[in-house]
Amino acid sequence: MEKIVQQFRDLQPTLRKNEVWRHVDFAALLSDELQLPKGERQTAEYHCNIPNLDAVRMVTENGYCYQPTLQTDEGTLLAGFRDYCSQRPDLIRHYFGKCCPKANPYLDINTDHYTDGIFAFIPDNTHQQKPIQLQSVINAGHGLFLQTRNLVVVGRNSHVVILHCDDSYDNAPAFANNVTEIHVMEGAHVEYYKMQNLNNQTGLLNHTYVTMQQGASFRSVALTLNGGHIRNHTEIRMLGEHCEVEAHGLYLNDQEQQVDNYIFVDHAFPNCHSRELFKGILDDSAHGTFNGHVLVEDGAKKTEAYQSNKNILLTDKAHITTKPFLEIYNDDVKCSHGSTVGQLDEQALFYIRSRGISERTAMTMLSYAFCDEVLQQILLEPVRNSLIDLVKKRLHGELTPCSECSLHCSSPCNGPEVNFHIDPTKL
Amino acid sequence: MSLLSIRNLHASIGDKEILKGVNLEINLGEVHSIMGPNGNGKSTLAGIIAGNTKYTVTEGEVIYKGKNILEMPVDVRACEGIFLGFQYPVEIPGVSITNFMRTAVNEQRKYRGLDPLSGAQFLKLMNEKKAIVEMTTNLANRSVNEGFSGGEKKKNEIFQMAMLDPTLAILDETDSGLDIDALRIVATGVNKLRRPDNATVVITHYQRLLDYIVPDFVHVLYEGRIVKTGPKELALELESRGYEWIKEELEKQA
Repeated sequence: MEKIVQQFRDLQPTLRKNEVWRHVDFAALLSDELQLPKGERQTAEYHCNIPNLDAVRMVTENGYCYQPTLQTDEGTLLAGFRDYCSQRPDLIRHYFGKCCPKANPYLDINTDHYTDGIFAFIPDNTHQQKPIQLQSVINAGHGLFLQTRNLVVVGRNSHVVILHCDDSYDNAPAFANNVTEIHVMEGAHVEYYKMQNLNNQTGLLNHTYVTMQQGASFRSVALTLNGGHIRNHTEIRMLGEHCEVEAHGLYLNDQEQQVDNYIFVDHAFPNCHSRELFKGILDDSAHGTFNGHVLVEDGAKKTEAYQSNKNILLTDKAHITTKPFLEIYNDDVKCSHGSTVGQLDEQALFYIRSRGISERTAMTMLSYAFCDEVLQQILLEPVRNSLIDLVKKRLHGELTPCSECSLHCSSPCNGPEVNFHIDPTKL
Repeated sequence: MSLLSIRNLHASIGDKEILKGVNLEINLGEVHSIMGPNGNGKSTLAGIIAGNTKYTVTEGEVIYKGKNILEMPVDVRACEGIFLGFQYPVEIPGVSITNFMRTAVNEQRKYRGLDPLSGAQFLKLMNEKKAIVEMTTNLANRSVNEGFSGGEKKKNEIFQMAMLDPTLAILDETDSGLDIDALRIVATGVNKLRRPDNATVVITHYQRLLDYIVPDFVHVLYEGRIVKTGPKELALELESRGYEWIKEELEKQA
């Protein structure tokens, strides 16, 4: 077994005593088969899952970026992380590691051993018109342990939409410990949409660290469609007044899949707002965790912070652990938190069926309706419509990594076919 | 020909018996009105015909188009042409009315062996039917009943009825909560949809609605049974005299 994989495994027993990592259990996915990437490069052209999306795209394939540096008309710079480190070490050094002041062992392993990643730099006063798409592709045909590192800097008063996708293109086991740091400078506006569609043998620990300066706004929607065990670990720090955070998530998991959303939001200055809405549907024996922590510091007067987690469990074996948590050190705030766990609304089902719609279709409609509230948080229409399509496909049981694969080999990739079917009759 | 024939229908919810032997015959081309005090089984009867499984039928039968429909699921009954206008239409955030109706129309067409309507055909149909209830709101982006006023919800029920063109429509207190303009619009809508090859059951408390929708028969449902049936004038009599005299008549008979 690779040394790092072993190191990762060994961390687990101690970390499980820590509230932040308590529900994380990657052991099953950290198999002996996992190897560090050696620059496995396929001849495939990676298409995007999302039709009709006109975006500027940078891809990392099995941990490495092979694309040359590119610059958009507006001046946004996109580069391979390693490549750019050698070109402009000063610039990278200025930003690297600055978004994550609170160390954690998984982050440290990434910092010490990351292979490559993407560097995105949006200069001051830039309105980047086309969305930027960062795609992390896993397609080695054998077990892989990946660590990528992305760094995004959004300059003062700039505006950018980023779509970040994690996709499996094979059925081999994999584990990724990926870190993305995002600096949102004064008055900048960032929309960050995360899309995860991985096979059942794949684990993903997806760290997102965001720092925001005065007047900045950050909107994120994390959409988890498939994956063996996905942990979205998000830390957002507002380091100036009048910041706005909208951080949302949607997870649709079945079989033995595990999904875990941890989100920490730090209100350190007055007059900042944050709102979180996480929703999920869990089928079969899927296990979900929501662990949301909002810290309102002493000086953060006039804070508004809202936190909500809503779940639908389709079976007796599906499981959700939900913990919305507010930690408040001043009394001039408006805050709320709550969570719900339930089933689909019987009355609504009857109403829909009374118009001649079959039970199965009625259930799919209601499940979709449950998801819609989160999807409406995606402001950019083409991205929203595309992700709505993907969610509908997922609910109809039509979405597999294979069906999206650019190779169109029309046979399941190596290994057994993965069934991604939420059975609507159980909804 | 008898469209709906209910014989000796007994039904309960939980341990409570609500219907205690209802008999009712409805023919094509007819409009029936069911009146009666609150809590005597009007909505239960409507729910059972439509297929709400919250009620248990303990005795009797409901024959529709020659078939006993009690074992038929609610969506199949709808495809067979039964429509229930809800007393309390359900709000369904996240499902647009357009999508809801398109799915319903096309599932019903599929049941009847017809091809689904194209987008353009569907929009044309929807615009025609919106006119029937003088609906001016843009439905495309609105969720089913979400944030609708009482009047809008009821108009939306009649709009759905127009879209689905049922053989038997049961309107459960469609007039409750309506102002006089909305009442006129809803009633006019129902009248426009009236044809020799369909039938309507109007459940109401007030004679007022029957000024607009003129019934062929008026039934009084009291303590789980239809205790009196008469022509449209019966509604006027109920309006002026209340239900007491019917209770007295019943006691005399007993």
